[in-house]
Amino acid sequence: MIVEGEYTFSGPRDVVWELLQDPEVLSKAMPGAARLALVGDGAYEGSIRVGVGPVTAAEWKLAVTLQDRDPPAHYVMQVDSKGPIGFTRGSASVDLAETDGGCTLMRYRADLQVGGKVAGIGQRLIDQVAKMMTHRGLDALSNELRARLAEEA
Amino acid sequence: MKPAPFEYHRPTTVEEAVDLLGRHGYDAKLLAGGQSLIPTMNFRLAQPAVLIDLNRVEELDFLREEEGGIRMGAMTRQRAAERSGLVGRGAPLLAETLPWVAHPQIRNRGTIGGSIAHADPAAEIPAVMLALDARFTLRSSGGTRAVPAEEFFTGLFGTSLEPEEILTEIEIPRPAPGSGWAFAEVSRRHGDYALAGVAAAVVLDGSGRCSGARITLLSVGEGPALATEAAGVLVGTEPSEDVVRAAAEAVGRGIDPPADIHATAEYRRHLAEVLTRRVLPRALERARASAGA
Amino acid sequence: MTRRYVGERVARNEDRRLLTGRAMFVDDVQLPGMLHVAFLRSDHAHALLRGVDVSAALERPGVVAVFTADDLGDYWQPGPLLVPPPPVEGIVFHEATQVPLAKDKVRHVGEPVAMVVAESRYVAEDALADIVVDYEPLDAVVDLEAALAPDAPLVHERFGTNMAAFVAQRHGDYDRARAAADMVISRRFLYDRGAAAAMENRVVAAQWDPLAEDLTVWDTTQAPIPIRNGLARMLGLMESQVRVVAPFVGGGFGPKIMMFYPEEVLVPWAAMRLGRPVKWTEDRQENFFATSQERGQVHDAEMALTRDGRILGVRDFFLHDCGAYDPYGLTIPINSQCTLLGPYDVPHYYSEFRAVFTNKTIVTPVRGAGRQHGVFVMERLLDIAARELGLDPVEIRRRNYLSPELFPHNFDILYQDFAPLYYDSGNYLPALETATEMIGYEGFREEQRRLREEGRYVGVGVVSYIEGTGIGPYEGARVTVDPSGRVRVATGLGTQGQGHYTAFAQIVAEALDVDVERVSVVTGDTREFGWGTGTFASRGAVVAGSACHAAAVAVRGKILAMAARVLGAAEEQIDLADGRVSVRGIPERFMTLGELARHANPLRGAVKPGTEPGLEATAYFGPDHGSTASGVHAMIVEVDPETAMVEILRYVVVHDCGRLINPQLVEGQVQGGVAHGIGNSFYEKLHFDESGQLLNASFMDYLLPTAMDVPRVEMAHMETPAPMNPLGLKGVGEAGAIPAGAAFAQAVEDALSGYGLEITEIPLSPSQLFELLQVARAASPQIQETAG
Repeated sequence: MIVEGEYTFSGPRDVVWELLQDPEVLSKAMPGAARLALVGDGAYEGSIRVGVGPVTAAEWKLAVTLQDRDPPAHYVMQVDSKGPIGFTRGSASVDLAETDGGCTLMRYRADLQVGGKVAGIGQRLIDQVAKMMTHRGLDALSNELRARLAEEA
Repeated sequence: MKPAPFEYHRPTTVEEAVDLLGRHGYDAKLLAGGQSLIPTMNFRLAQPAVLIDLNRVEELDFLREEEGGIRMGAMTRQRAAERSGLVGRGAPLLAETLPWVAHPQIRNRGTIGGSIAHADPAAEIPAVMLALDARFTLRSSGGTRAVPAEEFFTGLFGTSLEPEEILTEIEIPRPAPGSGWAFAEVSRRHGDYALAGVAAAVVLDGSGRCSGARITLLSVGEGPALATEAAGVLVGTEPSEDVVRAAAEAVGRGIDPPADIHATAEYRRHLAEVLTRRVLPRALERARASAGA
Repeated sequence: MTRRYVGERVARNEDRRLLTGRAMFVDDVQLPGMLHVAFLRSDHAHALLRGVDVSAALERPGVVAVFTADDLGDYWQPGPLLVPPPPVEGIVFHEATQVPLAKDKVRHVGEPVAMVVAESRYVAEDALADIVVDYEPLDAVVDLEAALAPDAPLVHERFGTNMAAFVAQRHGDYDRARAAADMVISRRFLYDRGAAAAMENRVVAAQWDPLAEDLTVWDTTQAPIPIRNGLARMLGLMESQVRVVAPFVGGGFGPKIMMFYPEEVLVPWAAMRLGRPVKWTEDRQENFFATSQERGQVHDAEMALTRDGRILGVRDFFLHDCGAYDPYGLTIPINSQCTLLGPYDVPHYYSEFRAVFTNKTIVTPVRGAGRQHGVFVMERLLDIAARELGLDPVEIRRRNYLSPELFPHNFDILYQDFAPLYYDSGNYLPALETATEMIGYEGFREEQRRLREEGRYVGVGVVSYIEGTGIGPYEGARVTVDPSGRVRVATGLGTQGQGHYTAFAQIVAEALDVDVERVSVVTGDTREFGWGTGTFASRGAVVAGSACHAAAVAVRGKILAMAARVLGAAEEQIDLADGRVSVRGIPERFMTLGELARHANPLRGAVKPGTEPGLEATAYFGPDHGSTASGVHAMIVEVDPETAMVEILRYVVVHDCGRLINPQLVEGQVQGGVAHGIGNSFYEKLHFDESGQLLNASFMDYLLPTAMDVPRVEMAHMETPAPMNPLGLKGVGEAGAIPAGAAFAQAVEDALSGYGLEITEIPLSPSQLFELLQVARAASPQIQETAG
């Protein structure tokens, strides 16, 4: 499954980059009271709780590794997660570009494998769930960015 | 395909039900017709710790006409609504749509309220409720509130129901004079989740001018969607073929449909436009007949 | 008066039991102390298995045992190769059969990794969540062409390639044909995978009796006798210690002939090991992963023709998806290779295929068993050729049929039974003429034009096919006249709803001249009849039916001989009618068959040397060759080019399965087959993603056509008797499903004539058709739908 898109953050690229490396901030961008801890250089582990509609929210174990880091412009995120109804594996490539007015344009493209029960029964909704989680996550990051910039101001 | 263990309660009154829900909240699921929940539990995707079965709560199963329109209990079976003369007169769009909901066997068990609370993006009943500007009564042990459909649906399987709230009643306003309606969908087989669907409720004034339009879509987004731009194209005009075409194009522009194995996003968008072009003339025709009568 | 039953519409004698809920299915087996099984199945299509920790599952109350591959010891063995590779020159075949529980590596999603045995299925499923498996995921092999790339990951490392087999067969010299051709058509065709989706999933129950020292296994198999033989061998028992019962079975369609499924090996073993009866019922979710599937092939085919539309030759290269293992050998691709030739006179043919291992569920025959692919390729080539030559599609077929004087016809290449592709008999043109007349082909063009002006897009498709049926090796039957006067027939074959109980009763009732309702048939119980192979390849009625006939004829001889002795008349003077024997001209000297049966089993005196007690005989039948059934399907569809939805308005089948035992049963088979074929054409496709995950593993997303999507088939029968068996029978079990895809493609293209689109892929979803339409619209901007 491919999830791709663009998102504009109202803030400078350096700050956006920093946010994207901060496990605490990332936790807030992930669904359901995520816990994420830095376990090595660019390596994070933790868990998220995901449930959509009738699907009971359950804990998914999560491992994220950042690779090909070219601050503050580019990185690739390897994601591995496993929950009671399946697993996901894949990578997401993230590019950050400065735009007019001190904003940052993020381009992302994730190529994810979804396996297990959720793949076999959930296909009708996977696309939408991925989109929804991405949009909510990015909005949460954007809020965090605004808060941080307000703090600094 | 056996469900995980759960605790089972079968209240007979709404009070008892909200009480149980108040106690179990997030851990509980309400069982209405069970046509979505039970398979989801058998797949073990849903593993509620507590199941509260509403099927013996008789006060939730009623259908009556009131001054402002129709009021029905959330446990009204879809098949009962489909066959009710009251619904045929007071909410003809709902009556026209219900035969598209799955199959008779499923509608015999499935409830109107269950479908609304489940808020499946491919479900017909939520989209129709949105087109009809319905209002829902939500009740908890803390009290009762009424929420319009437009505020009730909040994205993918999302509703404004709090964990301790039960959807108890549905109010559908009486159609204004000069009202017309129509529904259509495209599905792989009859009864499947629609690839796309369109419901329309329009009002024409005495001069044939469109004074109101609600066009809603299913299966093309996170939830039932109100096509406001398309409605805006109609309102204030004497809708011609060109206006209908423009409204259909506005429908296509206004959506970001999902892709799945049955339909690409482009195909879904195309179907939404084609269906709008097919549904609106029928709705307008009926409105003209009603306005002229 | 002689009773005529063969050829009559006798009502199915099994339906009373089925319709009143009194037919026994395997899941009805409930025994005291019975344990229930759930399997932990791989979530990964391809992964190394680093470890399986079952300790938490064993702790769960109600769990009796949890087994992994290591617990099986020497019992862990790959399954048998059911069909060895055919003796074709230059053949390559790599044998890799399925294993009971994965060891070291998993090769498809759903492959069993651990077996939980518990007091209830609920508890067994609860315990699945307690098992921790350490997988190391590998890249999956999914696409057939990519699988053969030099750097592709390997499903079975030991072969160094994912190529499971290579077979080339030729008839004549295609290159010469091509050189002489006025026109050569070449295209790529795809036929994708579907599920058999029998109404009843697989079920296995087993009980070991330590006092009698015998094992009883109830199994939804299509082949109870080979299952008994194999289990006896694996478990170290004599065949007589194992009884396998396949009672009523809710649909076979091929996958239930596959053996041994892991569950079939494990459940009897667990019952013996635990000393308690054990049952496993496959649920629908498991069925999508664990029961074999069929149909993935990619063909690059070409046809050389003269300008008047005569076929000079055909060449085909194709890839066949065999999934993760190949226990069924090459039956499917060989069938594709052979059936492609159809009813046509093809002087030159070259066909080669590569079977390919992939990380998907095992492929074994499903109703049609590769035949539809060949038919699809051939019929599509003919349609395209006809269009390019400006010929009517019916006419091009007419010009190429094998004419009746060419039978028997031998195509020199080897068929699935390893005998040459030999057409025993056939007469194709009358079927075509009847089908075109029934569908109203003549007047249809005019109607089509008229409807097009109204904005309706209708089209017709007419295609032909043949089906090799009724192959050996053999089946047997025992016919017994009971002292009650009823007649009992026992045969070893399993039956899954086809109507064998009725068909065999008709054959025997006619041969013995008894009321058909006085004949009862038992099938699928190895204790009742222990010799035979099974129900596959549209062979049940032909081969076992012929054996029933032979046994009944032998019993008839015994009846006449015994009656002659008892009634004191010459054998030639004995009349056998209405369940009694009498002396011709002296009707009062008679005896009922029941009385005669009692005489045949005397309590005093002696049975004369050279005779046997009882009115009973056992006979076997093994044909030298299969018998070739054939037919024509014609379909009218309506397409909505705006929504890309297709509706089938009419469906005509003219079918020739030789002499009919029971037209109603044949029509049921054809109607069901057509439903299957319509599913394959428009609805049923297993969607695998690039990591080998099946994306539609439920009936929510896997679309079986319903009664609303399948029209009532209008049918006519031709009867060209088979010379290979005394009754002139040919098989019919698969026929309905075989040509539907080809007919559908032709009809949809015809409805959209003017768009210039070509359908080369089956199944065709509306979303795919929409894309074809969009491409056509982009290429020809003048296309304007007239529909509103």
